[in-house]
Amino acid sequence: MTTSSRPALAFDAFRKADQIASLLVEAQHDVLIVGAGLAGMRAAIEAHDAGADVALISKIHPVRSHSGAAEGGINAALGNASEDDPEKHAYDTVKGSDYLGDQDAIEVLCEEAPADVYQLEHWGAVFSRTEDGRIAQRPFGAAGEPRTAYAADITGHVLVHVLYEQIMKRDLQVYEEFFAWQLVENEGRCQAVISWDLVNGGLKTIGAKTVIIATGGAGRLYQGTTNAYACTGDGMTMALRLGVPLKDMEMMQFHPTTLSPTGVLITEGCRGEGAYLLNAEGERFLKRYAPNAMELASRDVISRAEQTEIDEGRGIDGNVLLDLRHLGAERIIERLHGTRELSMVFAGVDPIHDPIPVRPGAHYHMGGVETDLWGKTSLEGLYAAGEVACVSVHGANRLGGNALMETITYGKRAGKAAAEWALSHTTVTVPESLQADAERELGTLLDRTAGERPHGIRDEMAQTMHENFGVFRREDRMKRQGEIVAGLRERYEGVVVDDKGQIFNNDLTQALELGFLLELAACMVEAGLARKESRGAHARPDDYPERDDKNFLKHTLVSWRDDGPELSWEPVRMTKWQPQERTY
Amino acid sequence: MDVALKIWRFDPETGERALKHYNVEAPEWACLLDVLDIVKDQVDGTLGFRKSCRMMICGSCGMRMDGRAILACKERMKPIVERGHVPVISAMGNMPVLKDLVVDMTPFWTKIRRMKPWLDTGYEEIPEREFRHTQEEMNPIHKESLCIMCGCCVSECNSMESDPEFFGPAALAKGFRFVGDPRERAQVERLESYNDEHGIWDCTRCYFCNERCPKGVDPRDAIAKLGAESIKEGIDRDLGAKHAKWFVHSAKTTGWLRETELVPKTQGVVSAIKQTKFAISLAKHGKVPPPVPPHVADRVQEARGLHELVHSQGRAGAAGIVQGEKALSRIEHPSDGDGA
Repeated sequence: MTTSSRPALAFDAFRKADQIASLLVEAQHDVLIVGAGLAGMRAAIEAHDAGADVALISKIHPVRSHSGAAEGGINAALGNASEDDPEKHAYDTVKGSDYLGDQDAIEVLCEEAPADVYQLEHWGAVFSRTEDGRIAQRPFGAAGEPRTAYAADITGHVLVHVLYEQIMKRDLQVYEEFFAWQLVENEGRCQAVISWDLVNGGLKTIGAKTVIIATGGAGRLYQGTTNAYACTGDGMTMALRLGVPLKDMEMMQFHPTTLSPTGVLITEGCRGEGAYLLNAEGERFLKRYAPNAMELASRDVISRAEQTEIDEGRGIDGNVLLDLRHLGAERIIERLHGTRELSMVFAGVDPIHDPIPVRPGAHYHMGGVETDLWGKTSLEGLYAAGEVACVSVHGANRLGGNALMETITYGKRAGKAAAEWALSHTTVTVPESLQADAERELGTLLDRTAGERPHGIRDEMAQTMHENFGVFRREDRMKRQGEIVAGLRERYEGVVVDDKGQIFNNDLTQALELGFLLELAACMVEAGLARKESRGAHARPDDYPERDDKNFLKHTLVSWRDDGPELSWEPVRMTKWQPQERTY
Repeated sequence: MDVALKIWRFDPETGERALKHYNVEAPEWACLLDVLDIVKDQVDGTLGFRKSCRMMICGSCGMRMDGRAILACKERMKPIVERGHVPVISAMGNMPVLKDLVVDMTPFWTKIRRMKPWLDTGYEEIPEREFRHTQEEMNPIHKESLCIMCGCCVSECNSMESDPEFFGPAALAKGFRFVGDPRERAQVERLESYNDEHGIWDCTRCYFCNERCPKGVDPRDAIAKLGAESIKEGIDRDLGAKHAKWFVHSAKTTGWLRETELVPKTQGVVSAIKQTKFAISLAKHGKVPPPVPPHVADRVQEARGLHELVHSQGRAGAAGIVQGEKALSRIEHPSDGDGA
């Protein structure tokens, strides 16, 4: 069986489908995974190897996934560059999370990480090597040891391709360019996914005993983001719409080094290799913010420091400078060639000769769909893994290199758990009415011929989220953002899609993506207003500048009730680390 | 800035193909992908193209600009606007067009799969620790592991244009990514398979793939390395392999390509006799020297030096310096390095 169900299309020969063609349950699988980045593919491999019939749905081809844009590396206490152990890794992660991470989840990650990395290496991952031929590890922000295994500065790319190789080896079914739009709940279980088939058109329903969402993040909420166009929070909103709560949604990480003006990621690996951050006066300003760790402090700390320098007039056109020059041409070319290429193409700067203009940009959602240690959500049959999920490993601030590790370790665990459940249950039923509802809803959107195009709403959302819910947060601004988002959601009700066609109608899917994002924005503002303290990525310098463990050592949970977000709280799971003052 | 461009549109539902002209306002830093986005947002939402990372790593936005395969996110528009040029944007070549700038990559992936693109270590149980291999041992597959599967090389491949079954540069580069991997245990089986019809020897060496690859993978170099590895393993059944072998032998021994011997050595005596008339005609016009006595070039040592260099590099030569010009420049400047 091949992975593609697409017909051989010629210029003049194609199937003219009905306006919205829908076949009741196209196919059925034990485990159906939505999203084919690192977490999704790793889950698929594990579920297949556990004996389940597995398929993946992805709106873009698996190797196009945004996991591939991860650059710096993957954290595991291999001890190849120093004495290291999983407990040190766990401690760094707990501290880095500003004590909001669930410590049992962090311990699982750090314990299982080394074996999971070795497995990637045996599958063929082309890691950079130490002198004696082991996997090389470099220092990364807020890590006590050089723990970040890497493949030059294209680690995500290398891992995406190696996992896709394993998908091909197992000949797993991939519904490529299927835009997942709705999860189907029936009899209290998630039992199917309704997707728009981009290549052929039409809604397709695929049934499954268990569904794993692995759709990644939602950086497209922001104007300046490292995230791909595809990162529109699809899985988060799909789960939210079924009543599954989202956890810690206020925790959006701003990466300190994104390239001006486009927001393209410049890896933390640069600083791991020894790069400096300079302000307009040529000063290594971090000595005033993180005198010990300097450029290797945690991301929230550095992003705030940069934003403060810029706000106080010591920036250069809204940027600070990342200086690699002292590393020398050879090291830059060997270990940071991708960074050099990006700087040259997108900023016209060769880092061998000139510093790179960088600024904080939206990068990673620590929050997401609440899951247990096996990726299970509150809805039977529904699992989540990777950035879309919140186990929570990262708490209020993720350490560089922990995201890739989470996709692998928790992808694996979700795949295993979903397969086990699926193999012990037999039936899948999808009521026709649910599909009819979906068709009607889509028909309403497609039939609308007059109204606003989505891009105005999209740009306004992204710009205002940046202004009002960025590195620093203020009560009045957040409240205003809540109103803005409500207004945008109202306007969204009347958007018009230009393309009415069946074949590769991504005008339609981009409009649906905007719908996903707007609901998430509303959830984030709700959670942000409720957290009256400063913790990790959530910084309120004016009214609540300190961390408040007495009142807020707990997770926000946002559910969707009566067309709006509803907030509740959940305690942090602690094992052996009590909160301490966090300095770098 | 004011950007003008023309786009070859294709509407699969009517079969209509048309070159449409667009004029939009774009920021100074815009790349082609940004401009396409502006067109889609503000002018015509039906414009079809793929995009995702916009940072040259996902491989979605392969297309053609003025007939040349590019990644839309990599092409800056400012210099084009400044020289007053109106570029023509079209879908990639050698793949069926689904809509506008979107091609069907199914044939592309079928060929990738044909290569058995996964590491074969010869065992199933995963050992406790990593394989121990130095960076030097891993370097031969460095360039091939940069491949993002965008399809630009396949779009430009001249061999594939005449033989759609040709494996193509992307798949063969992927093949070398495994053949050159020190952890791989099925090199010989792979080489046997890649030597099949439509395989490595069907490449015409036009170098378009090297020139157009947006990531510096140099697929043609990978194909050359596959050829070299094949011959080293004694897999030389293809005429292309025989041709290459004789070519090297001739250059090494005499410093010349002795064409009169090339045909019998490559195609066999019977085939050569059939071409005698053609050979005589060539000789009459002074196109080939007489076969006897073998003529040895004055500076044959240079050719032998090249041969020695490539041999002494062995697998390390596969790191990239296998092409003549680069090797030659090292011979001419012995003081610069260890090449001589």
